[in-house]
Amino acid sequence: MSALTKTYTDLDQAINEVQSLGNTWPTAQLNGTLDAETLHCTSLVLHEWIANLHQHAEFRATPKVEVELSSQEHRVYCSVVDNSEGFEIDAYFPNEDDDLEAFPERGMGLRIIKTCTDDISYTTTEDGLHCFEFIIPADHDPWLNTLF
Amino acid sequence: MSFDVETTASETVIIHVGEALDFRNADEFKSTFQERVEEGARQFILDFSDTEVLDSTGLGSIFSLYRAVSPDDGKVAFADVSEPVQVVVQLTRTYKVFRQFPSVEAAREAFSG
Repeated sequence: MSALTKTYTDLDQAINEVQSLGNTWPTAQLNGTLDAETLHCTSLVLHEWIANLHQHAEFRATPKVEVELSSQEHRVYCSVVDNSEGFEIDAYFPNEDDDLEAFPERGMGLRIIKTCTDDISYTTTEDGLHCFEFIIPADHDPWLNTLF
Repeated sequence: MSFDVETTASETVIIHVGEALDFRNADEFKSTFQERVEEGARQFILDFSDTEVLDSTGLGSIFSLYRAVSPDDGKVAFADVSEPVQVVVQLTRTYKVFRQFPSVEAAREAFSG
């Protein structure tokens, strides 16, 4: 299992770096376990989640975000641990049955996360940090069908 | 970062999106196209050749452009779509709405024809 762990105190830097996962995490790609599309999906989910933290999370100290990635059997396992005050996640994640207006300007980020991932969890650690975990399978063919 | 914009003889506006269209510059993108829409432009080509990031807020701003021009039969086309942008296009199925061209030139020819 090839793993990558990075810690950031600058959320903009975190976002910039997860955008180029293919360059910073090349081992799995070179081994042929993950294709470029899966890495792009992983980058997109990480971007959407950290952008969510950037825009909506409350930090009472310098933000600290730890991203951990690993791959096994054509799957990407990822966790993002942060020191924000956290979210009421159920209030943020849309239900399957929720209608979205046509051509929405907002509200697509968490739908994209939910669509790209297989398993999502959002928990509070013993240290009071918040941990967002997800899995992206390489054989997934995700799509949203609620935008038009 | 401001967007590089050009207008063709046929009044088509080409916006070179650059490296990213995300929550950090989506408002600037909207200001850019709104100015052209107010001037009467209704045909837009978005050049994604250098784009590494298109996030949900960036896509939302493109939907905003579409909503601004579609009542007047306006068009928004995607040109030279990079691989990361193609993932978002496939995921959201926006290819059903925004016609894609292999290059800006091909889109420009289609719009002027």
